[in-house]
Amino acid sequence: MGYTLVYTQVLEFLPYLIKGAWISLQIAILAFFGGMFFGLILATVRTFGNNISNKIVICYVTFFTNTPQLVQIYFLFFALPEFGILLSPYIAVLLGMTLNAAAYLCEIQRAGFLSIRQNELDAAKTLNFSLFQQVKYVILPHIMRVLFPPLSNHYIIMTLGTSMAAIFGVEELTGRAFNINSETFRSVEIFSITALIYIVITFIATFLLAIIGRYFFKAKIRIIQ
Amino acid sequence: MPQIKIKSINAFYEKLHVLKNIELNVSKGEIVSLIGPSGSGKSSLLKMLVGLLIPKSGKIYLNENLVNFKNQSDLRTIREQIAIVFQQYNLFQNMNVLKNVCIAPTKIQKRDPKEVNEQALNLLEKVGLKDKLKSYPDELSGGQQQRVAIARALCLNPQILLLDEITSALDPELVKEVLDSIRLLASEGMTMLIVSHEMNFVKEVSSRVVFMDEGSIIEINNPRNIFEKPKEKRTLDFVSKILKEK
Repeated sequence: MGYTLVYTQVLEFLPYLIKGAWISLQIAILAFFGGMFFGLILATVRTFGNNISNKIVICYVTFFTNTPQLVQIYFLFFALPEFGILLSPYIAVLLGMTLNAAAYLCEIQRAGFLSIRQNELDAAKTLNFSLFQQVKYVILPHIMRVLFPPLSNHYIIMTLGTSMAAIFGVEELTGRAFNINSETFRSVEIFSITALIYIVITFIATFLLAIIGRYFFKAKIRIIQ
Repeated sequence: MPQIKIKSINAFYEKLHVLKNIELNVSKGEIVSLIGPSGSGKSSLLKMLVGLLIPKSGKIYLNENLVNFKNQSDLRTIREQIAIVFQQYNLFQNMNVLKNVCIAPTKIQKRDPKEVNEQALNLLEKVGLKDKLKSYPDELSGGQQQRVAIARALCLNPQILLLDEITSALDPELVKEVLDSIRLLASEGMTMLIVSHEMNFVKEVSSRVVFMDEGSIIEINNPRNIFEKPKEKRTLDFVSKILKEK
């Protein structure tokens, strides 16, 4: 093989790639917290709602967890304009990832609701805790402890999933790697550096999440999987 | 003057009639044990006294004041005066031993944290857990958790202590350490209602014993009579069965 690695040619694009990584992080964080919020509403309806609302949520979750995320975003980006709704690539990806995350995070948060221990709530009531104090001292710490590991795993998966945005022309990390590749044709160097940046940002996120989980929620999270 | 006066109480779990026409008076400093087969309503009676089960009819007086279970302020009042220790300990898993004991006195009763901390340390020393202050419930044995639960209840300075089958989830060797803690409290004159299957313990510490079956009080008697010459046949059947099993 006569290929010679020339990183010097690619390293000058590093700041450009890092800016792309920042856009990837933005999409991941916004979609994750949007998905958490929407998923929390769905989980509340699924746990405490009536039969009809329950079935609607089941249909939503089934659809979004059984179809590829890429197809869902394609639908938002290419099919919605037929109905007069035109979304920018960034918004289509963000919305698609949020709706998809809501389905998964609904199920994760529902598991948290179901794991609340009635006997701890009974103790809290007999100790005269108000509802707000029950939520603050008993329910939330318990839910966060139980949910922190699956939630942080999902966040990491979503960060990596932002690379899909490149297909729609969003200039996040992978999108920018495509651009540099078409300009320099140094594919090995570009994509190895891109992969390294992904590893760094996911490792930093895993490390921070593990610290938060361990010290604030006493959740058992491994830093290196 | 009875500290607790229960008059014609009926309570239900959905359609199940769990307490039927209950009449019971408990005086200050008295230790009343509730015995009877599983499902006889003993635990339901204790739960009702702390407002976890709302009676459908009847009246309860605490220190001669009528309790309205639908009134939050009345519920708060009874829970300030009555503390309960549950069969399954019901400790807060996200808090260490000291926090489990201190949280209600500091955050709910708004007492001085320093004074509460001192009292908690004394109580935990009394129940032999002074070296476990920073441990979490899942790091403790069942007996240790139960003793934390007792310390938590006592740190509220209740007038009345309810103990719901506190030894039934424990290994036999752990039962002694928990019962020793209760004996100590009994000797200090606290009013207690105890649900227990430990008949020797019931015989030893109780002022009176209440036998319950199918949600009703069948007999109230002193410990000696209830075990040796009960008035009711159902009491006799239960007591002889239990004593034979032992």
